[in-house]
Amino acid sequence: MIRVRPVARLAELRLLIWVAALSLAGYVAVVAAASGRFAWYEIAVPVVVLAIFGALHVFLISVGFRGDQLLMPLAVGLTGIGFVLVERLAPTLLLQQLTWLVIAAGAFCITILIPRDLSVLARFKYTWALIGVLLLISPLLPFIGREINGARIWVGITGVAQFEPWELVKIALVIFFAAYLEEYREMLSTPPRRFGPIPVPPVPYLLPIVAMWLVAMLVMVFEKDLGATLLFFGIFLAMLYLATGEPFYVLIGLALLVGGGFAAYHAFAHVAARVDVWLAPFNSDLRFDQAYQLTQGLFSLGNAGLFGAGLGAGMPERIPVVWSDFVFDAFTEEVGFIGALALLAFYLVFVYRGMLIALRAPTTFLQLLAAGLSFIVAFQTLVIVGGNAKLIPLTGITLPFVAYGGSSLVTNFMLCALLLRVSDITARVRR
Amino acid sequence: MEITFAVILWAVRIAFLVLLYLFLIRSFRALQRALADERTAVAARQVGLAALVVTRSHGGGPRVGERMPLRAVSSVGRDAGNDIVLNDEAASAKHAIVSFADGEWWLEDAGSTNGTVLNGSRIWDRERFHYGDEVAVGRIALRLERAQ
Repeated sequence: MIRVRPVARLAELRLLIWVAALSLAGYVAVVAAASGRFAWYEIAVPVVVLAIFGALHVFLISVGFRGDQLLMPLAVGLTGIGFVLVERLAPTLLLQQLTWLVIAAGAFCITILIPRDLSVLARFKYTWALIGVLLLISPLLPFIGREINGARIWVGITGVAQFEPWELVKIALVIFFAAYLEEYREMLSTPPRRFGPIPVPPVPYLLPIVAMWLVAMLVMVFEKDLGATLLFFGIFLAMLYLATGEPFYVLIGLALLVGGGFAAYHAFAHVAARVDVWLAPFNSDLRFDQAYQLTQGLFSLGNAGLFGAGLGAGMPERIPVVWSDFVFDAFTEEVGFIGALALLAFYLVFVYRGMLIALRAPTTFLQLLAAGLSFIVAFQTLVIVGGNAKLIPLTGITLPFVAYGGSSLVTNFMLCALLLRVSDITARVRR
Repeated sequence: MEITFAVILWAVRIAFLVLLYLFLIRSFRALQRALADERTAVAARQVGLAALVVTRSHGGGPRVGERMPLRAVSSVGRDAGNDIVLNDEAASAKHAIVSFADGEWWLEDAGSTNGTVLNGSRIWDRERFHYGDEVAVGRIALRLERAQ
């Protein structure tokens, strides 16, 4: 039995106090602006949310956790902003989101405690790959699969609960990639044969890479989920490059992705529609039809200016499904360029911290795991913010921690807990 | 809407933006502090806590003036497994132990054949080892110095 000695986490506590002040101010502004009055009982919801955050802090102290003290405040700070935005954009969903937060906090604690030894994850790598693929194809199954807003990426029972298995797939796949690359990085980075500057590893080592590409294309075709395809392949290429330092794999991967994308554009209507909307959203055929969401989002961004309209004073509710797909535009409209910049900076600090944890981790597996998890957050932010701003075609990826959505909240808290685990192991090894 | 209510609402909105940045600055500071801690930790590992400087040697031994960084507990002897390896026929495989405890350095003979000599006198017990003291092991002499 490991002797548990509580360790004070003062830096974390100090940052959590700022999170509390920030969340309360935002929530009060939104509630007061919506109803034109304010009563103290209305802060019950943010107080419950902050109590959950505080409980997580006490939990980390009580298990004698020695990992990073910055990640958790950043994650819950973003979640706090997320609750302000749910209250602003979809107050009827607030209780549902609160329920999901409780589940997410539970998942966080479980991930901190189990498994005791993280290398167990590496030992069962093909199990993780299998779980990942099964979760990935689960929405295609009859009875439990659901198609919502044109993407078949949900499982659930109508009227009870729905879950996006893709969210959990991300973590399973990062674990698999990290374990796989740790074992075969030598063979992939310095293969016995080379064709000019191009490394040619033996065929059996290439099979998983080709399999990944096939699965990514499968997701794009059958589940109509462009974001998942991009994220899935992006994570894989990034981790492959981190492990091998071989740019040719990335070039080949990108060529495959571009080729697949080009073919899909011509073969599938839903892919073509996304690209057309991106290229010309104000086209008179699209403006009030398929491009309506994106153009409303662009007006919202345009309305923002330097300081924004003020919390609760904008009109982001004119964007359809704003609470899950367009939270970035909604937030920007009300707090302006200044506020949006701060929000992006939070992601920057989070990812930077995650990469530092990766650099210091004692084993290759833990390094790749931490880097892959940080990369998920970075890539998701990039893809959804880029999509909201019409920089790249819009995809249904969620803004980590902030956007409304149960599956993504649970997954992101587990992701944060895994990163913390890696930093905890590093702290104990280095002592 | 009353005027005071509108004013308070705007004050809260501005407070939200200000708090957003204050929290961000605190996060950056926490990040910076962690990086600084890491740098000092790395520096401490490289420099060591203190060092033994060679003051007298012979042909096959260490160069005079060479600094040998000490850890909290360092073993001295002829064997390659020691923290400080002294190539001298008169040195035993495991000759002496230099350790840091209670804020001071200590020197102890580890059962050597020819003995450990501190400032000219052979030691039999654990002795205080001050900065500037000289220890002789065989034909090699070393002086304790602070880390640079």
